[in-house]
Amino acid sequence: SLAVKILLFYVIFYGCLAGIFIGTIQVMLLTVSEFEPKYQDRVAPPGLTQIPQVQKTEISFTASDPKSFEPYVKNLEKFLKDYNADQQTESIVFQDCGDVPTDYTERGPYNDVQGQKKVCRFKREWLENCSGINDPTFGYRDGKPCILVKLNRIIGFKPKAPVNDSLPPEVMAKYNPYLIPVHCAAKREDDVDKIGTVEYYGMGGYPGFALQYYPYYGKLLQPRYLQPLVAVQFTNLTYDVEVRVECRAYGQNIQYSDKDRFQGRFDIKFDIKSS
Amino acid sequence: GLSSARAAEILARDGPNSLTPPKATPEIVKLLKQMVGGFSILLWIGAVFSWISFGIQLAQGAESPFDNLYLGVVLALVVILTGIFAYYQEAKSTNIMASFSKMIPQHALVIRDAEKKEMPADQLVVGDIVEIKGGDRIPADIRLIFTQGCKVDNSSLTGESEPQSRSCDFTHENPLETRNIAFYSTTCVEGTATGIVINTGDRTVIGRIASLASGVGNEKTPIAIEIEHFVYLVAGVAISIGVLFFIISVSMRYKILDSLIFLIGIIVANVPEGLLATVTVSLSLTAKRMAKKNCLVKNLEAVETLGSTSIICSDKTGTLTQNRMTVAHLWFDNQIYSADTSEDQTTQPFDQSSPSWTALSKIVTLCNRAEFRPGQENLPIMKRVVVGDASETALLKFAEVILGDVMSIRARNKKVAEIPFNSTNKFQLSIHETDDPNDKRFLLVMKGAPERILERCSTIMINGKEEPLDSEKAEAFQTAYMELGGMGERVLGFCHLYLPENEFPDTYPFDTDSMNFPTSNLCFVGLLSMIDPPRSTVPDAVSKCRSAGIKVIMVTGDHPITAKAIAKSVGIISATSETVEDIAKRLNIPVEQVNRREATAAVVNGMELKDMSLQQLDEILCNHSEIVFARTSPQQKLIIVEGCQRQGAVVAVTGDGVNDSPALKKADIGIAMGIAGSDAAKNAADMVLLDDNFASIVTGVEEGRLIFDNLKKTIAYTLTKNIAELCPFLIYIIASIPMPIGTITILFIDLGTDIIPSVALAYEKAESDIMNRRPRNKRKDRLVNEQLAVYSYLQIGIMQSVGAFVTYFTVYAEQGFLPSTLLGVRVNWENNAINDFEDSYGQEWTKYQRTYLQWTGYTAFFVSITIQQVADLIIRKTRRNSIFQQGLFRNKVIWVGIFSQIGIALILTYGLGHVTALNFTPLRFQYWFVAVPFAILIWVYDEVRKLFIRRYPGSWWDKNMYY
Repeated sequence: SLAVKILLFYVIFYGCLAGIFIGTIQVMLLTVSEFEPKYQDRVAPPGLTQIPQVQKTEISFTASDPKSFEPYVKNLEKFLKDYNADQQTESIVFQDCGDVPTDYTERGPYNDVQGQKKVCRFKREWLENCSGINDPTFGYRDGKPCILVKLNRIIGFKPKAPVNDSLPPEVMAKYNPYLIPVHCAAKREDDVDKIGTVEYYGMGGYPGFALQYYPYYGKLLQPRYLQPLVAVQFTNLTYDVEVRVECRAYGQNIQYSDKDRFQGRFDIKFDIKSS
Repeated sequence: GLSSARAAEILARDGPNSLTPPKATPEIVKLLKQMVGGFSILLWIGAVFSWISFGIQLAQGAESPFDNLYLGVVLALVVILTGIFAYYQEAKSTNIMASFSKMIPQHALVIRDAEKKEMPADQLVVGDIVEIKGGDRIPADIRLIFTQGCKVDNSSLTGESEPQSRSCDFTHENPLETRNIAFYSTTCVEGTATGIVINTGDRTVIGRIASLASGVGNEKTPIAIEIEHFVYLVAGVAISIGVLFFIISVSMRYKILDSLIFLIGIIVANVPEGLLATVTVSLSLTAKRMAKKNCLVKNLEAVETLGSTSIICSDKTGTLTQNRMTVAHLWFDNQIYSADTSEDQTTQPFDQSSPSWTALSKIVTLCNRAEFRPGQENLPIMKRVVVGDASETALLKFAEVILGDVMSIRARNKKVAEIPFNSTNKFQLSIHETDDPNDKRFLLVMKGAPERILERCSTIMINGKEEPLDSEKAEAFQTAYMELGGMGERVLGFCHLYLPENEFPDTYPFDTDSMNFPTSNLCFVGLLSMIDPPRSTVPDAVSKCRSAGIKVIMVTGDHPITAKAIAKSVGIISATSETVEDIAKRLNIPVEQVNRREATAAVVNGMELKDMSLQQLDEILCNHSEIVFARTSPQQKLIIVEGCQRQGAVVAVTGDGVNDSPALKKADIGIAMGIAGSDAAKNAADMVLLDDNFASIVTGVEEGRLIFDNLKKTIAYTLTKNIAELCPFLIYIIASIPMPIGTITILFIDLGTDIIPSVALAYEKAESDIMNRRPRNKRKDRLVNEQLAVYSYLQIGIMQSVGAFVTYFTVYAEQGFLPSTLLGVRVNWENNAINDFEDSYGQEWTKYQRTYLQWTGYTAFFVSITIQQVADLIIRKTRRNSIFQQGLFRNKVIWVGIFSQIGIALILTYGLGHVTALNFTPLRFQYWFVAVPFAILIWVYDEVRKLFIRRYPGSWWDKNMYY
């Protein structure tokens, strides 16, 4: 009976503890809004990421071997499914935001008093050669791989367009007061001549993220939010050698960090084999 | 004597005249032992696993393999540093001892190159001629070639407490018995002698015994056994949980490598890295405290051994007694008076108005050859050094206390003749002029064995008047003499005679050889009895031992009657208890008919002990609670100690002589006398009693018991948070949440925030009178018992984990990851390729942002454990009493602990929060308070636990919740 007593004690003891645990967690959750996080200490400034998502940041394939780039293509295709025109038909959810970069689209307070928030359309066609509409392999079969660049979603984050004269000369041409330009270049000096031409496809042909897509209102208010994309196509990469490319987004509140190599930029290796 | 050249030759051949210290373990071996003992092995395993996984990851080309390399290095460093620390602590306490034995350099007066030279005793060689005088220590074994009234104290060698006279005559085959050899390290009490060195260094008799003693093995100390038990327990838990979760994680399809890393984490979380260092520090703090109270501990662990002592075998002379004869009783005018025998007497309270006392005091003063060494006028009388034997010294001091300047009284009563004491006469006599200028008579004074003195008397002084000594008065004398003798006291009789002026004019030629003066028909004045009185603190200490359940056994070389008298006066034999002989006497039956069980006390003679079988000895030790061994030799001490140990007792033994060293070694704790003790005894002992006082042992026992209790608290405190460190790993493995706490962070708790608080518990005062409970049963009362482990691990530890997890979930939720999102995310969370990891709000996180959040989680978890450890520290102050009974502020060091804990946590979080390798981040300040309610809950819960324990003693709650 002593064993029973002790067993009973622990059942009650742990029962109470579990109750206290769940209770405090519930109370804590009450203090947290369901629409926006209490703090964004760690998530901002935003990261810059690419599709396809690859291990060890390396894209390696043989143009003549469809099997070798199949995972990348599938990854791109899957990601772009939401950007199909037929996915963006409901006018309750979607809204045309034009095809010229404009200022932020403010949609009121971060709650559901006015119901869900509308979302700007993003036309897949804007991505042109990288849209996968004409070329389902996104240029990979021709050895001209596409990658999609996106700025990580952060609720309420309004990226500020860069100040014109702060931009490096090669990006200067892309300047627009309502655009976060994206630029990819060789990471190392000796890769500069191996990188070849780089094509950028974005909203209305602008090589960057237009500000009208911001701020993001969160999963609950904008469940079908489409973040603006920039497709980058490398049309003349040198084969059979590793080429390291770094892509950056430019903006006043977009920063880079030595510790976080994906903050505001990323780098990726291309290794295209000729056979 | 020898020439210097020859002496140098012999010195080169024989080596210096000093005892080789017992072979010490090489320092490097000691150091290495510290690094592989205890938990170190587990941590080495952890380190090796870390390096293995580093190697594998490096080979696989993983992104950040160096984390594991560093972890391995850190673990190895932890082991090495704690090893060095423990070694240093150990070495420090050994050094105290080493410096202690070197304190007195020995010198000897040697004849070399036909010249007397003073030189260090260790330079002596065989063949040297040395001179010794009263008070010297014999510098080597010497054969005497010239003596003058030389007496040596061989007590350290043979245990005989009476000084023995030495001469040049060869009297016995046995070198120990013959009179013409004086032994190394014994002392010359009086007289002078010259001798030839016959043995030096280890070849001396003492040297041979000392090397014998080092052969007696050292037993493991109780605390060492307890700590070993504790290490096994914790290591067992660590290994079984580690292996269990290794299997679980492998079967949950984690990679072997990952599982190995989990295993390291589990080991690190389970091992209280800082605890052994803490224990060492606590013990050395207590050792320091004990040193202040005159107990010098050689071996740190002996600190606690003293606390678990259940039998103390104590010497009488010097330990229980003051080691000097003191006048205890007087008999004059048909009445017994008691004298003050305390250590620092300045007056004597008994009635001194009778003229008989005046006469007696005159005899005491004059018939005495002892003298104070000059130049001690400023010292208290009792502390002055006297030249003379023990009884005369006692009488001199006694007279000095009552009459003042004895030397000037003697000067005023000039001595004209004297017969010193000898064993045939058994009296001492002197004749003096009187200090009364009108009285031209000579005064003859005499003292000696009472019966001999009485024989020479025809009258007796009563109230200053001489009355004839009739049979009635002689009867009264006999009664008084028996009574004083029965108290174990040495009795002396005193008588005097004023020589008629007409027969003995002031030119009378007194001749002591022909004794041309009367030595009979004297006037008997009184009796004085002397004893080596107990130290005044001893009776109290003995009664403390009694209430503490410690049996005090007196072992002495003295006569049974004296031994019994002292035992009675200090309470070793209590007032009401009787020996078999006492009962026989009271009932008037033969000793054999007495029921031995009725007698609580026993006085065992060494001669009886010699003929006893082990069973008989066991029977005595078992059946009698109050035992005195009289007339025992030091060799028999060993037998007694072994007998006590057979009863399962933890035995403390005091000793000073060289022959005591085997017993000192054999005992669980050997206590050597600091003043009277020989070097060999001090070497063999675990502890040295600086003031030779028994009472100091008792304070030592108290400290030892306290530290045992406090170590319990320290361990309970330390073990608790191990669960809070372990749970994160288990839940991480099972629920696949982001890692709540890092291995490095755990080390910062174990070796950072927790150290000072756990040491602070060593300063905690006792909860109740620890000297009122029985000594702990070394088989049952463990340092870490089941209740302690269960309460710490399964109750407080779990509560801490809950509190820490609440903070963890709060941090993640407020940054965007609600608890529901966290479950099962581990694989993606830790995937370096995913830099757009979605949180509960749809935001996307890069890998580094997640890692940084994870470190914030570590920090939050760390801070929560720290905050709850504050509560843990406070509840551990007591095990039974309420904190309010104990007082929150009595132990100030606890507060130092609390502030240091929080201070270190603040520094780590905000000061080092930007050092990536340490995995700390500056935490939002409010997260420090999330765990506060849980800290309060812990406190309240523990108060309730203690309340129930106090309310319902013996209930199942008490049995299971009291540790």
